[in-house]
Amino acid sequence: MPEITGFAFPNDIHVTWSLMIVMYPYITGFVAGSFIVTSLYHLFDRQEFKPVARLAMATSFAFLLVASLPLQLHLGQPQRGPFVIVTPNFTSAMAGFGILYSFYMLVLVLELWFVWRQEIIERARRSRGTKRAFYAALALGTYDTSPEAIEIDHKAIKILAGICLPAACMLHGYVGFIFGAIKANPWWSTPLMPVIFLLSAAVSGIALLILLYQVHAKLERRPVVASCVQALASWLWFFLILTITLEELELIVMAYEKSESWLIISELLTTRLSFSYVTMQMIVGGLIPLILLAVVVLMNRYLHEKVRNTLATVAAFLTLIQVFSMRWNIVIGGQLLSKSLRGLRSPYEPEIFGREGVLVAIALFVAPFVILWVFDRVLGIEEPEGGPAANPPAAPPGAAPAGSHVP
Amino acid sequence: MSDCHDGCDGGRREFLAGTLKLAGGAVVTVIGGSALASSSSSPTSAPRPGGGAYDWNEHLWAYLIDTTKCIGCGSCARACKAENDVPDGFYRTWIERYVVGSEDSHVDSPNGGMDGFPPVQVGFVANKSFFVPKICNHCRATPCTQVCPVGASYRTKDGAVLVDAESCIGCGYCVQACPYGSRFIHPATHTASKCTWCYHRITKGLKPACVTVCPTQARQFGDLKKEGDPVRAVVEHDRVQILQGHLLTEPQCYYTHLDKEVR
Amino acid sequence: MEHGKHVFRIVILVAVILAVVLLARGFLVPRTYGLYGRYRGANVAQQMDARPVLYAGAAACADCHSDEATKRAAGAHKNVNCEVCHAPLGAHILADGSVVKPPVDRSFTLCARCHRKVAARPAGFPQVDLEQHVNGPVEGKVCLECHDPHSPKP
Repeated sequence: MPEITGFAFPNDIHVTWSLMIVMYPYITGFVAGSFIVTSLYHLFDRQEFKPVARLAMATSFAFLLVASLPLQLHLGQPQRGPFVIVTPNFTSAMAGFGILYSFYMLVLVLELWFVWRQEIIERARRSRGTKRAFYAALALGTYDTSPEAIEIDHKAIKILAGICLPAACMLHGYVGFIFGAIKANPWWSTPLMPVIFLLSAAVSGIALLILLYQVHAKLERRPVVASCVQALASWLWFFLILTITLEELELIVMAYEKSESWLIISELLTTRLSFSYVTMQMIVGGLIPLILLAVVVLMNRYLHEKVRNTLATVAAFLTLIQVFSMRWNIVIGGQLLSKSLRGLRSPYEPEIFGREGVLVAIALFVAPFVILWVFDRVLGIEEPEGGPAANPPAAPPGAAPAGSHVP
Repeated sequence: MSDCHDGCDGGRREFLAGTLKLAGGAVVTVIGGSALASSSSSPTSAPRPGGGAYDWNEHLWAYLIDTTKCIGCGSCARACKAENDVPDGFYRTWIERYVVGSEDSHVDSPNGGMDGFPPVQVGFVANKSFFVPKICNHCRATPCTQVCPVGASYRTKDGAVLVDAESCIGCGYCVQACPYGSRFIHPATHTASKCTWCYHRITKGLKPACVTVCPTQARQFGDLKKEGDPVRAVVEHDRVQILQGHLLTEPQCYYTHLDKEVR
Repeated sequence: MEHGKHVFRIVILVAVILAVVLLARGFLVPRTYGLYGRYRGANVAQQMDARPVLYAGAAACADCHSDEATKRAAGAHKNVNCEVCHAPLGAHILADGSVVKPPVDRSFTLCARCHRKVAARPAGFPQVDLEQHVNGPVEGKVCLECHDPHSPKP
C-alpha cells in the first residue's frame, strides 16, 4: 500500500497510468521529432540535413511501428483495443489516436515507398527467386525508373511530406492534449501542454538523430559530416531553449498566480519529484546540455571535429534523459497528487517483470533500433554511393555539395 | 428477539424470498403499468430489461446529502460494498472527516470510513469538526464519459453515469478525468468501475443501498421529475451546494451545509 | 501519364485496404451500439439486472419479525434500518428461499460505531465517552447489560 502524506481521496492512491504511459509519449516523440528533421531537408531544402534525411525518415517509421504498443500493453483489456477504431467516441481525445495514428502511418508508408522505390526496383532486378518476388511485390510490379517516373516520385514525396509534417505534429501535439485537457488534474491542465510536448518531441528527435547518425556513420564506415552535426546541434539548442522556457513558464505562472493547486504542486516538485524533476529534468538534462550546446554553436570554428562530436553526443544523450524525465514527471507526477489537493502518495516504483514493467519498457525502446537494422538490411537506409538513386530528391543540381566532407 | 428463524412457516418464507427478488414489487407493478402504456408508442425510447417495466424517460434521479446529519458510522460504505461487491481497498462511496481550525485543517478517511471513525488528535486548535459523505456526483456534464474513447461510459436518460464493463478497454482515462476520485480500475475485471446509484435497485423502485441504511437520513435519494419529491423540493427551493462547482461538471449530488474546506 | 502507373497501383492498394478496414468495422460494431447514444444500448438493461438486491429495507423484515419491528418503530432507533446491525436481508434469506442465521454483533464495537464520542459527530447526537460512561472494562456485550438496542433509552 502506498504511503499518503496529507489526505488523498481513497481511490486516488493508485497510479493507474503506469510506466507504459510514460513510454508512449516518449516513443511518439521520436516519431514526430525525427520527422521534423527529415522535413527540414525534404520540405525546406536545408541541405545540411541531407546526410540524416533518410535515416530520420526510417527512424520515424521504426518508432511509429512500436508507438501504439505501450498503449496496448497498458490496457486492462488489450484484446478490446481495436474498439478505439471500431466504436470511436469522438468527444474523447483518446479516440482521435486511432484515427491520427492510422492516418500518419498511411501517409508515412506512402512517403517511404516513394523515397525508396528506386532502391526496391534495383534490388528486385538484382535478386533471384523468392527474394525477387518479395521486392517485386514491394515495387507493386512496376519497374519504371524513367526520368519522368522519377519526376513524379519527387512531386509525390514533396506533397506527402507536406501532409506528413502536420500529421506528425498533430500526432504528438495530441498526446500533450490528452494530458492538457484534463481539467480534474491541475498538474496537467494547461493549454501549454501540447506545445511543450511538441517542442520536447523535436528535442528528443534531433538528439536521437545526433546519436544515431554517429553510430550509423561508424557502422557504415562513412565520415561524419561536420556541417550536419553542427546543424543538428544548433537546432537541438534552439528547441531545448524553447522547451525549458515553456516548462518553467508554466510553473512560474502557477506560482505567481498563487493558484489553489500551487501549494500541493510545489510540495510535489520539491519532495516526490525532487530527483526526477529538479535534478534530472532541470539540471542534468536541461542546464548542462544547454551549456554544452551553447559551446558547440557559439564556438563552432574553434572546435576540433572530435571535440564537437563528443560535446554534441553528450548533450544529445543528456537531452534524451531530459525528455524522458519530463514524460515521467508529467505522467507519474500527476498521479502522485490527489485531486483532493491535500495529499501526495509515496513515489511510484514500476514493476520489473510483467506486462507494464521495466523490462518491457526497455524492450519497447530497443525494438525500433532492431527495426531500423532490419530496414537497413532489407532496403538500405543510405543510398548506395554512385547508385541510380544518387541524385537527391527535390534538390537543385547545384546545391548537392553543401554537405561535403570535412577535410 | 423472537427466534423464529427455523420456526417460521414455509409460506411466509417463500413470500419473503419473493419480496426480495422483486423487492419493492408493488411499486414496480404500478409504475410499470403506466410505463408500458406510455412507451408502446415509442418502442426504442426505453430499455426493457428482462420483460420488466421501467421507463427511464419518467425519472431524473438526484442525490442529496445533509452534512450536519452524518454521524460517520460508515453503514453506507459497508452496505455499498456488500450490495455491489466492491473490492477491498476501492470505494464507490466513502466518508471524510474534517477537523478545522483557524490556522490549519485535518482530513482523514480511514478505509473510506467503512469501520467508523476513532477519535483523532490534531496538532492545532480545532474549532469545528464534521463528516462529509462522498459518492459519484453523476454529473450532467461529466468529464468522465467525455473522455471514454470507446463509448463504454455513458449517462442514462434518468441521470445515472454508468460503465459498460463489456465494452470498457480499461485505459483508465475516465479515472484521470474524474475530479472527485469516484472511479477506479476494478482489480479483477481490469475495467473502470464506479457508483451506479445502485441502478439495479432504483429501476425496481428501491433506494440505493447507502440511502436505505443511513440511520440519520443524511443521505437522500429522489426524483427530480416527481411531483412532491422531498429531494426535488430541497434542490428547487433551498440553498444547495455542489462540489468543485468551478469545474462546471454540473453534479447531480447536492449538498446542504457544506464547508469551504471541502473539495 | 504513362509513367504514373506505379502511382495508380498504390492508390488502388490504399483504397482496397481502406475498404477492407471499413468492412471489418461493420462486422465488429456491437448490435445495439448507438441505440440511445454513443454506447452499447443493451448495457442499460444489463445494468438493471446486474446483481440481486441484498438490502431490502426494514419493511421487508417486519413481514416475519413483527414484534421487533413494532418495538423498533416506537423507539429512538425507528429510523435505523434493521440491516445496519443485522446484515442485509439477502444474506439472511437466499434467492432459493432458504434461511441462513444472520450474524449478530452484540459487542460494544457495534454500538460504538455510532455512539462513541467523536468530535465530528453532530452535537445533538447521543454519544458517550466509552471509558467514562462504563463502570469497569469496556469489552464484550457491556452495552447490552443496560440498553435494549430495539428500543434504547439514554
